[in-house]
Amino acid sequence: MASSQHVLLSPAELSYLHSSLSLTPPIRPDGRSPTQYRPLSAETGILPGTNGSARICFADGTEAIVGVKAEVEKTKRRWDDDAIYSENQPTEGEGQQQPGRDGDNGEESGSSEWVELTVEIPGYRDDDSGTIFLGQMLSEALLADGGFVRKLRINRRFHWRLYLDILLISPPLSYPLPLLSLTTHLALLATRLPKLKSEGDEDPFFDDDWAAAPYLYPRDPSNKQKVVERPPVTLLVMAVGGNIIFDPSKEELAVADVALAVSIGDDASTAQQIQGGDKMDVDSFSHGSGSGRNLKLLSIRTVDPPSRLTPPGVANAANSAYGHAQVVSSAGAGGNSQKMPEARQTESEAVEGVWKPPRGGAKAIVMGALVQKVLIRGGVADEVLDALEGVDTS
Amino acid sequence: MADRRRINGPPGSTMPPVFEDDAGQPEVKSGKGRDRAPTAIRKMFLKTGVTPSASGSAYLEFEKSNKSDVSGLKLSCTVHGPRSLPRSSPFSPHIVLSAHVKYAPFATKQRRGYLRDPSERDLGTHLETALRGAIIADRWPKSGVDIIISIIEGDQDREASKSQGDETWDMMNALSGCITVASAALADAGIDCVDTVAGGVAALVQDAGDDSTPRIVVDPIPSEHEKVLGACCIAYLPTRDEVTNLWFKGDLPASDAGLYTQLVENGIQASRNANRVLVECLGETTS
Repeated sequence: MASSQHVLLSPAELSYLHSSLSLTPPIRPDGRSPTQYRPLSAETGILPGTNGSARICFADGTEAIVGVKAEVEKTKRRWDDDAIYSENQPTEGEGQQQPGRDGDNGEESGSSEWVELTVEIPGYRDDDSGTIFLGQMLSEALLADGGFVRKLRINRRFHWRLYLDILLISPPLSYPLPLLSLTTHLALLATRLPKLKSEGDEDPFFDDDWAAAPYLYPRDPSNKQKVVERPPVTLLVMAVGGNIIFDPSKEELAVADVALAVSIGDDASTAQQIQGGDKMDVDSFSHGSGSGRNLKLLSIRTVDPPSRLTPPGVANAANSAYGHAQVVSSAGAGGNSQKMPEARQTESEAVEGVWKPPRGGAKAIVMGALVQKVLIRGGVADEVLDALEGVDTS
Repeated sequence: MADRRRINGPPGSTMPPVFEDDAGQPEVKSGKGRDRAPTAIRKMFLKTGVTPSASGSAYLEFEKSNKSDVSGLKLSCTVHGPRSLPRSSPFSPHIVLSAHVKYAPFATKQRRGYLRDPSERDLGTHLETALRGAIIADRWPKSGVDIIISIIEGDQDREASKSQGDETWDMMNALSGCITVASAALADAGIDCVDTVAGGVAALVQDAGDDSTPRIVVDPIPSEHEKVLGACCIAYLPTRDEVTNLWFKGDLPASDAGLYTQLVENGIQASRNANRVLVECLGETTS
């Protein structure tokens, strides 16, 4: 589903919306602050047939469910596998006897083919380019740092294949990216894989006690609710005038100058390292140490803002219904505008209160500012992750 | 019952053996490293008007790298339109842009089918975003334009298995080429744009060797480096100094914001370089 679905707003409404969002502070149609998310209700573990599932319902009525299913699959051997092993592990025979995954070297990586992510949006075809764009964006964030697929490794011969099925069950009332991303995040947190009983490179054999199944994202042993590492989250952020607005609704997105989807990850392991060492930067002091996470930037994509497809308004000066058209054409470029009445209409100067779809791109500085605003310590990303931590995922 | 009298082949598909050139050489992923300067893009060849039946067309070829078995990127783009929309479609105050990107089945190491797979559709969406910012869309109400790009040869290492996972980074290079060639074809078709948009890629790479620190290079070839840590592809309008599409992928710590900014700046620089070729090519055609 494209971000540029039809927005049924007139040029006058668009102009009004644009100017009210450009104010400082901006006035949003639903009264939120620029960094505020829509209120949502979330639950996990709703589908007993899955390894992990979640449901999120936004206040505007959009609702998504995500089911995660896992299958054991034989890892395809590559022709030079033996070469790699003999090189990295000179004592191949002893390596066999070492129990568990510790015997394998840490460089063992998975393949991105082990994760299959599909997005289903009602009313849109599976191969709709917008739907595929959403799916690619979500899987890109998940696979960005190779750490996720490493979790799916069972042993040298077998691995888990994970199917993430993302369903939007309400009609797409707004661009569903934030909703789908948050739901996927929760579903992955709730995902458990059966406990492995076999050792080494044996055919995998699992504990049939579901209560003993470990989480895909391991919990802190001291505090069962605390998750050590968290899946990525994709935030939708847009710029209007000089303002930066998070989680825009469909109408707000229709007047965006630029919209970005920024995926971030929460890196708990490096956070401890930095806290432990004396690498702590001045930045973290100023925001109060302890608050704020160590975020990492995983991916950024430009979302085609639907504002470019909105109908332009016609200024009174160019509107023949007001009898001004003659004046403009005689004063204006002359013959050229006579031949192309549309050109005369749209090439005119920007008039206050008359909507003009944005043309061209955005300054690199503006995009940089959007990304900065997402990544700032103690910012919206932290708030979102804190809020998601409050959801019971056990 | 297995047939024991004959020596049967393996039941599944196998990879053909690849022999090393020199048995004494340690196995390094990159046979030869990068020999260009970090801020230099590969040479490219661009020509417009190659397909007479289309209203605009262009062909782009990147220089082969120094490695013998790495082929350069070859792209062909045709633009059909602007033409009137079919009667059944709803009214549009703007030109309706549709971009198709397709790898030829033989373009990559792994054969691609004839149907577009998700990664190709994804490239099409990126391309659409990049071009929509450049086209002055309201000059053609009620009309549509189709931009069709076929990637005749992908930018890939022929050596099996050593470049596992590089495909994702190759997509960035392919996209930057797509943007440049589509921009040339749009100009050839006479469709008004605010500026010529060109694509550029910058990447943070780790070279082979223990003591090398990550560095930023433009127009990266993944097989020339040990590991690509992050890359960004940028579509840039030089005269307006604006970015129409930004695609970043990788794993950067948020505390190091300078790294991201540098990547973007290098990407812009790469696309400026590509734009110079583009402008020169268009100048040749008009003169």
